[in-house]
Amino acid sequence: MKDITRVQCLLSTEIEALLNQQIKKEAQSSSAYLAMASWCDSHGFDYSSDYFFKQSEEERMHQMKIFKYVLDMGGNAISPEVTNIQLEFNSFKEVFEEALEAEISVTQSLKNIAANCYKEQDFVTIEFLNWFFKEQREEEYKARRALELFEVIGEEGTGRWEIDKHVNDIEYNSEA
Amino acid sequence: MQNVVIAPSVEFVEVFQTSNGAVFQSDKENCWYIDFAGKLARFDYRSLMKLRKAVYAIDIEMILMNSEKTADLEIVFICACDHCYVLNTLQILAIRELIEGTFVMLELNRILHDRVYRLTA
Repeated sequence: MKDITRVQCLLSTEIEALLNQQIKKEAQSSSAYLAMASWCDSHGFDYSSDYFFKQSEEERMHQMKIFKYVLDMGGNAISPEVTNIQLEFNSFKEVFEEALEAEISVTQSLKNIAANCYKEQDFVTIEFLNWFFKEQREEEYKARRALELFEVIGEEGTGRWEIDKHVNDIEYNSEA
Repeated sequence: MQNVVIAPSVEFVEVFQTSNGAVFQSDKENCWYIDFAGKLARFDYRSLMKLRKAVYAIDIEMILMNSEKTADLEIVFICACDHCYVLNTLQILAIRELIEGTFVMLELNRILHDRVYRLTA
């Protein structure tokens, strides 16, 4: 008897479902960043708004990367429904706290997929995920550094204005 | 002379069978034939995956607990597939068992292919 299911698709049902879940997560992150960009812009934090616009684009790019991978491997990529996006924030700092929390959640979710890939020896997907792990190093660093600015600059006086000005300069250059 | 029409031969391999139905695979056509609820229906890879998703998505507990006076019928309709099933609760349980067993057997088949053909020199 031919092994039709394997011929048609490289991914197991479980990994395919997890990747589709991740597609949704990335889409949600992209929308969440867009909401943050909107909040920052309407509160006068234009540089931070630009930063979040860029982050939103990046998350969208991540989403598409996984989407295409699932399709290329013969799976069924599901266009996700995005709901419950937080539109209001209590403070400028809270926006960045939420951003870091979102990045941590993405990293943890990717780790969970990789753990399942190791369990079923899906080394092809692990190799694919490695790019994302490197990306998450940068994402978490940037989000953490942005929050750090609130500590080192301080929010008093023109603090928030200074923070806003420097958020866009945050870079991660580690070659390691 | 009498003309005898011979039906085209389709080679089936049984994948899984229960007392309520059976699933066969056709290597020639790369598809499966499901003998269930009084009909034999052809499913390709995509449709079979969709059928599994549709069957697993049925909330059996909800149906069992439902005390409304409506018929306990569930329509399993798959997009871009010629077939649709109208099933009562017992049939839902039966098709679920059939599909679950089928996928266990297909997984076993994959493991056998790996061990017997793919991983040996």
